[in-house]
Amino acid sequence: MTMHCTLEQLVALRDSGAVTEPGHAEARDHLATCEACRAEADRLEQRVARLKALPVLVPSRDRYPEIAASLVHERRVRRVRWAGVGGLATAAAIVGLLFVKDMFSPAPVEGSQQLAQVMAESRVLEGELARLNPDGRAMDLVTAQVAGQLQTRIAAIDERLQSAELPATQRPTDDQLIELWRERVGLMDALVDVHLTGASQVGL
Amino acid sequence: MADSYLLLNADTVLAGVRAGDPGAFERLYRAFEAPAFNLARRMCRTTADAEDVLQEAFYEVHRSLAHYRGDGSLWGWVRTITASKALMRLRRNKYRDTDELTDDLHPGRHEDAGLRMDLETALQRLSDTARSVVWLHDVEGYTHEEIAEMMGKTTSFSKSQLARAHVKLRAWLGEEEKI
Repeated sequence: MTMHCTLEQLVALRDSGAVTEPGHAEARDHLATCEACRAEADRLEQRVARLKALPVLVPSRDRYPEIAASLVHERRVRRVRWAGVGGLATAAAIVGLLFVKDMFSPAPVEGSQQLAQVMAESRVLEGELARLNPDGRAMDLVTAQVAGQLQTRIAAIDERLQSAELPATQRPTDDQLIELWRERVGLMDALVDVHLTGASQVGL
Repeated sequence: MADSYLLLNADTVLAGVRAGDPGAFERLYRAFEAPAFNLARRMCRTTADAEDVLQEAFYEVHRSLAHYRGDGSLWGWVRTITASKALMRLRRNKYRDTDELTDDLHPGRHEDAGLRMDLETALQRLSDTARSVVWLHDVEGYTHEEIAEMMGKTTSFSKSQLARAHVKLRAWLGEEEKI
């Protein structure tokens, strides 16, 4: 009884013609003499040719605006991060100074504790946002826009926080600093929500 | 695959993208949008998945362009990123391999019913893995070694997936002939 080539052997022989597997040498020799197997090999070739000739499929809508919006958002996040690092460092230095001042003060200053607390909340949210890794995820246009707006507002607050480096007369008061940090926490909270659930689902 | 503008001006376009010129990146996107989407769509089960893959692939292209050394063709590089993203999407979705289930339960059903599918339908009917191997190997021209590396599998796995896929395609297309 004649043993014809298996389709696996024909696929392998088509690949390179090289004999790399046991039994392929026999299969190649058989193919040279067997009309039925040659017909099968032809059908395989035709099938592959038909696959290559399938029409090119195109997206149902233009995705570039979303990609462009996300790239803009990514650049903004990078800028905000750098600004934020500077702002946070400055603010941390101020809080440190306030604590040092407290050590020599007769009574604890409630404002510095509030400031430390609200800054800690902000740090927690920063960590949460980093965990969500929004830069590494695709997002829809609305989410990208809302996230971008929130980032812009956070950047504006960070700039005001950086003004703490100004001369004492132009610096925000402790109460104003607390208020700014609270506002920052609120915006960060919203930003985390946007990345968690998508803009359309958080009512923004 | 790339449009003629990009082929002629690849260096200029790449320099523009690296310098942060959004117009340059859009030109790159437009040049490869169709073939990248086609590849993603042929590998993914749904258009929505393929569109997400397209988007993710171009984020990655933008992010990784600094590391592109120009060793191979730009399309080859974009294509591999797209294929990798599509495979990641398939792994994430973990679609059921419907053909495996139905074939195991009803061997020979298609032949008995005298059902002849068109190639598009038959291709879609393959499991995600088998369809991806067929497309990457037979149409895009990847070797089994390259496919195995992308899939995190062995070369034998890729070869066997391809052979089994052709057995199924042959049956579903009504091309079987008793020899």
